Amino acid sequence: MTAADTREPLPGAGPAWPAERRAAAALRLPWLFLVSRRVPAALGLLAGLALLLWSALYWHWSISGGRAAQQFLSLTVETGAAAVIAVTTYGPFGDPERATGRWLPYLRLGVAAALTAITYGALAAAITGGALPDGDLALLRNLVGITGIGLLCAAAVGGAFGWTGPLAYLVVTEVALTGNPTTPWVWPARPPHDLGGALCAVLVFAAGTAAVTLFGARDSGRHCTPE
Amino acid sequence: MTAATQAPARPVRARASRLAPPLSFLRLLRIELRRNAMPWLLPLIAALFWFDSYRPSTGQPPLYVLRTFWNMGQGHTFIDFGPFVAGVAAWMGSRDGRRRTADLVTGTARPRWTAQLATWGATAIWAIGGYLVCTGVMFAVYAHQGVQGQPPWWWVAVGATAVAAFSAAGFAVGVFWPSRFAAPLAAFGGFLALIMSSQTGFHDNTGWALILPTNSNGNFQADSGLLYPWLPDLPIARIMLLAGIAIAALGLLGLRDRGDGPWLRWLAVAVTAAGVAAAGTAVGLVTTARLSADGIVIPALHDAASDRPFSYTPVCGQAAGIPVCVNPAYRRWLPDVTAALGPVFREVAGLPGAPVRATQVAAVYNGGEAGSTGGQAATIGGRPPVLSLAIGALGLPGAFGATATLFADQLQLLAVHAFVGAGAGVGTSAQQAVQAALWQGAGVAFAAQPQVMSTTGLPTFAQAAAPATGPVYAAARRLAALPAAARQAWLATHLAALRSGQLTLAQLP
Repeated sequence: MTAADTREPLPGAGPAWPAERRAAAALRLPWLFLVSRRVPAALGLLAGLALLLWSALYWHWSISGGRAAQQFLSLTVETGAAAVIAVTTYGPFGDPERATGRWLPYLRLGVAAALTAITYGALAAAITGGALPDGDLALLRNLVGITGIGLLCAAAVGGAFGWTGPLAYLVVTEVALTGNPTTPWVWPARPPHDLGGALCAVLVFAAGTAAVTLFGARDSGRHCTPE
Repeated sequence: MTAATQAPARPVRARASRLAPPLSFLRLLRIELRRNAMPWLLPLIAALFWFDSYRPSTGQPPLYVLRTFWNMGQGHTFIDFGPFVAGVAAWMGSRDGRRRTADLVTGTARPRWTAQLATWGATAIWAIGGYLVCTGVMFAVYAHQGVQGQPPWWWVAVGATAVAAFSAAGFAVGVFWPSRFAAPLAAFGGFLALIMSSQTGFHDNTGWALILPTNSNGNFQADSGLLYPWLPDLPIARIMLLAGIAIAALGLLGLRDRGDGPWLRWLAVAVTAAGVAAAGTAVGLVTTARLSADGIVIPALHDAASDRPFSYTPVCGQAAGIPVCVNPAYRRWLPDVTAALGPVFREVAGLPGAPVRATQVAAVYNGGEAGSTGGQAATIGGRPPVLSLAIGALGLPGAFGATATLFADQLQLLAVHAFVGAGAGVGTSAQQAVQAALWQGAGVAFAAQPQVMSTTGLPTFAQAAAPATGPVYAAARRLAALPAAARQAWLATHLAALRSGQLTLAQLP
């Protein structure tokens, strides 16, 4: 028997799958990946956060204390959305998934990028409810940067705890906003058109996306999350 | 029949021993303590605590009431802890649900509620322990730096109870929604609740809003812990609220598990009701609160012994030969005070009603936040006349952006305002003119006076400051232009009429 013989269909085997069935089979893997990452639930939460932002702007919720404090509510919503994206990187399968899934890096990249884009779209739609301090450009910068922090955190400590990085950054930003920070690494405190702040945010997002794409969240087969 | 069935049955334990915390519960607690996620996050929280709670406070003068205003008064210590604790507690609470082991562990000997309380207890022990260690280290550093006054222990207790409440609420979120998103939901929900409570808390200083743990209006001011004790009334009410929330959240867990037997369910109902009652009572109590000279008083919780001022031996200096005495906690500002008052005392020396001594009195609470609202007027009274100054109500150098120059200018303004007899109000036009002339003589130029008067830390009379023009300042310039001897003579003749408010602007030289 030669190798060529093995490529012949076995006697009694059925005909090749039709195109639509092949397409369905091709979509099955991404769908299973999305479900394993609880992306549908994440989309629901992101929609809820967008609604929260819309409500805050529409009914003029604010914190007294000047311009910096005024933007803090929207920043909290953006950070919460970034935390949700970070938590979706948590994978429950570990080694089996890593050993068998050659599409895994692409799926990770696709989900992180798509969720960030969808979140930006939802939040941008939400700011039609009122006037967002610093506008949608700052919204994009803040969301992208803080999502990057969340992804980095997920790669470092685990997807289940990916929310801790964005929350810690939010607390740091809260203090920084009360002063007058000059570092671009605290980009929410910079003007919307500030190049340094935008570069830092993009850099962090690129690093976070790359880390999650290449290595996955830490608990995806490399280390157990604490109880 | 096997040997096992022939063995004598183990005697049923007495009811009293069943109610005592059994050894197995303590073993379970020990296992939960070892397998808890909270210690993993404590280093991050400690770093944030240093950055958010300790570091900003070091810019304040070394008085406990000022150092801890940001981190205890405005609640930043538990803003640093609470959301993280809620998130981790939610993660721990959702464990059985996430791992699909709820049915498995329901069949174990220990009731589910008890096992869940052990998990929550371990989380809370780590969280509260971490909070107390961080706060203790911060206070130890303060003490090493020579920070003066009495630490706000009641507010530390409020923070610890808040951490417990966050852990219980977060744990309940995890139990009722066992999802990977329970942790971020609990954490960001807690954070949002805290900053939204600041929205109301920063505005309102009466009624139910006082219960909000980040509300520092009218309840965290000088001279608490310096010249009189911290009043425990409001902290007790907040502890009641936060403990009530924690108890109610834990009681809800017991209502959920139907397999634990009827008496445990009734106990859970009672616990939940007790928690709700405690929280409701706390809210009810603060609606009866009123502002007193030394803080917020809640009649049902107030102990009159808390109103007794501290006794102390003052430290004294000399300003133009006149003794100036302050509380020992304010010793470091005594040179500033004597340097500021010296020029004023030299100007008024020998005039009727000129003070022969200056002394510090306790600052009286007002309805706003420390450092952001009006201060307290100085008075001259007694025989011989004594100038009484509430130094704590002023903008001390370094506090909330105040400088030593501003502190001196404010002290001089208060002294000359008291000398012309304007009292707590703006004073007559003549009094304003003489005040401006004397203040200019002490070293504050006419043009600079309105700017100083618009600064925070001064009483409300200063807020009516107008530009240094118009008839008042024209009269003040004429008076200031007189030779010193002539000005002294005119003042000696007209001071009584000036103080009684009978002198008009036209009667000034």
